[in-house]
Amino acid sequence: MSGIGVFLCRCFGEVNRVIDLDYLQKKSAEYPSVVFCSVCESLCREDDVEKTVSRMKEAGADKVVIGGCSHLGRGGAIVDGLLQRGIKRSAIGLVDLREACAWIHRDDPVNAADKAWDLIRMEIASLHYRSKSGDVTVRVCPEAMIVGAGPAGLSAACTLARLGFKVHLVERGSNLGGMLNLISHVYPSDEKASEKIKPFVDEVNNNSLIHFYPKAKIDSITGFAGNFNVQVSSPAGEQRLRVGAVILASGARVWLPHGLYRYGKLKNVITQMELERQFIKGPRELKTAVFIQCVGARNHERPYCATICCPSSLKNAVRIKEENPDARVFILHRDIMTPGSVLEAYYRNALAKGVQFIRFEETNPPEILGTEYVEGMDVFDSVSGLKRKLDCELVVLSTPLIPNDDNVKLAGMLGLQIDRYGFFSEIYPLHPLETRMDGVFICGSARWPVSSDNAIVQGEGAAAKAAALLGRETVSALSLSRVPGEKLGHASVNAVTCTGCGNCVAVCPFDACRLQKMGRKRVSRVNKLRCKACGNCVSVCPNGTVQLPEHDYRAVAAMIKEAFGEEMSL
Amino acid sequence: MNSVNASPVLIIGGGIAGIGAALDLAYCGHAVHLVEKGRILGGQVAKLDKLYPTDHCAFCPLWTDVKKLREHPLVTIHTCTEVKELKRVNGLLHAVMVRKPPVIDESLCVFCGKCADVCPEAAIDSLGDHVYPPSHLVREEICNRCEKCVKECPTGAIDLQRKEETSELVVDDVIWAAGFTEVDLAPLPEFGLGKHPDIMTAMEFEEWTAEAGVNKGVIIKKSNFTVPRNIAFIQCAGARDQRLLSYCSAVCCMHALKQAQWAIRRSPAIQCVVFYTDLRTVGRDYYEYSLRDISGCRVRFIRGRPSLIYPLPTREGIAVKFENTMTQKREIWKFDMVVLNGNIGSSLKKKDQKKYISPALSGDGFVSPEADEISRFSCGFSAEPADVAESVIQASSAAVRAILAKRNS
Repeated sequence: MSGIGVFLCRCFGEVNRVIDLDYLQKKSAEYPSVVFCSVCESLCREDDVEKTVSRMKEAGADKVVIGGCSHLGRGGAIVDGLLQRGIKRSAIGLVDLREACAWIHRDDPVNAADKAWDLIRMEIASLHYRSKSGDVTVRVCPEAMIVGAGPAGLSAACTLARLGFKVHLVERGSNLGGMLNLISHVYPSDEKASEKIKPFVDEVNNNSLIHFYPKAKIDSITGFAGNFNVQVSSPAGEQRLRVGAVILASGARVWLPHGLYRYGKLKNVITQMELERQFIKGPRELKTAVFIQCVGARNHERPYCATICCPSSLKNAVRIKEENPDARVFILHRDIMTPGSVLEAYYRNALAKGVQFIRFEETNPPEILGTEYVEGMDVFDSVSGLKRKLDCELVVLSTPLIPNDDNVKLAGMLGLQIDRYGFFSEIYPLHPLETRMDGVFICGSARWPVSSDNAIVQGEGAAAKAAALLGRETVSALSLSRVPGEKLGHASVNAVTCTGCGNCVAVCPFDACRLQKMGRKRVSRVNKLRCKACGNCVSVCPNGTVQLPEHDYRAVAAMIKEAFGEEMSL
Repeated sequence: MNSVNASPVLIIGGGIAGIGAALDLAYCGHAVHLVEKGRILGGQVAKLDKLYPTDHCAFCPLWTDVKKLREHPLVTIHTCTEVKELKRVNGLLHAVMVRKPPVIDESLCVFCGKCADVCPEAAIDSLGDHVYPPSHLVREEICNRCEKCVKECPTGAIDLQRKEETSELVVDDVIWAAGFTEVDLAPLPEFGLGKHPDIMTAMEFEEWTAEAGVNKGVIIKKSNFTVPRNIAFIQCAGARDQRLLSYCSAVCCMHALKQAQWAIRRSPAIQCVVFYTDLRTVGRDYYEYSLRDISGCRVRFIRGRPSLIYPLPTREGIAVKFENTMTQKREIWKFDMVVLNGNIGSSLKKKDQKKYISPALSGDGFVSPEADEISRFSCGFSAEPADVAESVIQASSAAVRAILAKRNS
């Protein structure tokens, strides 16, 4: 049984009041390889789809062209109905007669009918050459690797372990807690940082599902969603891990403001982190303190706001004020970044506690006076328009978080994107924890600077995404799709004609193409689970060896020939 | 782990946060009931013309997520439905839901448009260009019940007499994802909202200028349909203000930057001025996005909150009285359009408590998770002012917390 059945839809008069469907029916029925052509009142209701399938069976047609409405109209529903009844996607052609012909060319019925006939012929021609990609299914390894044991990594690890998955927690340092080990209190709860991580640390130590690898380095990661092979070296020796999902929570580091505001030259110009270290040791007696915001951030070199510096300064300024009620504490800022209700209340609290805020402009930064120690400061208050002289015993510089250097290496191993600053990029703002690679998730400051509370929330979110993958028994290549239903296939290489030029390897954004030795030559092979069917490889292949079966070049050439009457030389 | 647990999780709100939480729960093998008050899923994001900072429209990712939800066997979607009551019976949480079925049945509508053509009152409109599957909507406040559309509809999808249906459901937990609504600016008359058609809120401006909206992306005045010479964007209108909303609404700075940028990209002659308090650009690429406004689009930024906005006596223009805190000068400028940004708050209201069940709310109107059992899980604007990315992250986190709570019980 072979041949194409063509169904044309009147859409209750919407199509045939402009387009002469009888003319199209006659033309279609006469066209070679078309078994029959029928015109129906509607095609999209449940019983219509049933009728369509039985009519195809009766007439012995195995492929179908639907002339109806747009895919985003009811066309998608027709295609879904046909798929449910066992017709392959590669055997269905959908022609948009309602929106693209009848409605848009309402005033020109003759040309509308010609356009419709062109579109139908193109779809018929392409159906001859379309086929379906072969699928491959692999078992999912129900374990996860988490890179980084800061708040984000700890929360992801504990969440996954509570859900019953084995977790490998890989940390470059020797302690759990990451940056929380370096600070005394966290905002906005003003909890002790050590208290904040204690429940997580206890859980990592007591839960047998969590394996902690301190002082570890990741040498290589290969594989795909459900099946990553990781080489980890640590003082305990080299280990090979097999994991189903990877969560990157490697955090960020603090930028040191060498050369700015005489940091390193004057003894009492310190950074926020140095102040935190002093706070861990105990209270400080101070009469005056000045915080300077946006040191090395929101400038030409680092044009971003690092999110955490304003609330951190508020926290420490209030603390100085609480320990020394008579002290004068100033925060010199360009904009106070406290979005939301909790942080805005935190800002108001600082105002109520008597912390003073002075706004300066980027072009006119404060100037520090003194030779060995800070003796004072000149600042131009842009709100009052006056130059002010401040006494200060201590100057605290708020510097931004910057990405870790090994982000580049990790991104290279996993085929991820990093943004222009060096943080890991998400796939899309609506899917903020997912990356370009299936099975690899990002959270915490490795993604973008966040507070410890938000890092914990993100760790839980990433764990939810990983759990959805790890809970599956198997994963098939065609099911790894960001669009619902099946993905549009994946590239396949004809090993006989491949010359091994490597063009496809160079352009593949997902690291799916690799050159492999086969006999005496090297040929390209496509990893079906990594391939996203973008078609880059198809466009650079010099002899058409790489193809997407769903979008075969012969199908495209046949469509062009039908549309323009010209042969395409390939 | 992927065993189906008997009692579902109830998610209130079918916006971007509710959709995210529902997908995460379903993919982890838990049944979900998603309740949405409106006709369509997508909430406020579906109304946005562009998303910052990528300037993409939200349709494709939203559509794919909604389609995934529709196709997932563990997800039940209830549109046009509100939860009237949550009660405990023998230790089980019962949700009483009331559904007001739409006049046009979505599953039967083929979107042919015949009903809209025959309607004498023009009460029938498309549900929106960004809606899948596309359908029509009868504005019941305009409809005169002539039933012409009922006779015209070829598939019998229209019924003007549909009655409310009440159903009851046993649920395990509730996730609040009710999103935001605009807060009435009437207590702050100095903003002049309602005194002139060209003074509008940011969401009204978004709808008025959307590419998929009435004006197809052309920026024109509401009063006389001409291109405005200049637009003022007033930030913190109602927000960070002890008289109305004491918090920062978090999304408005970027929202105004986006609107100003797009107004200029569409009509380069328009001059845009943003009146702000602090320009809060916290997030990936947000600060660079603001730089694009300053250098590429020549948007003017003035730090200061207008003290009075009023239509000129001739009605041709709006006066904005302000103090520029960068130059310490008091000025009055004339604008053709004024966009007020900031008056958005959680949809969950305390005063609803008599009519509909409500979780424990903080003073600012956000869910307090520690207060009681039904308030444990919330995400999006119900939890804290949040943009799209943060809402989705909170949704995933709320979903996993609900799963863990299930496992522990």
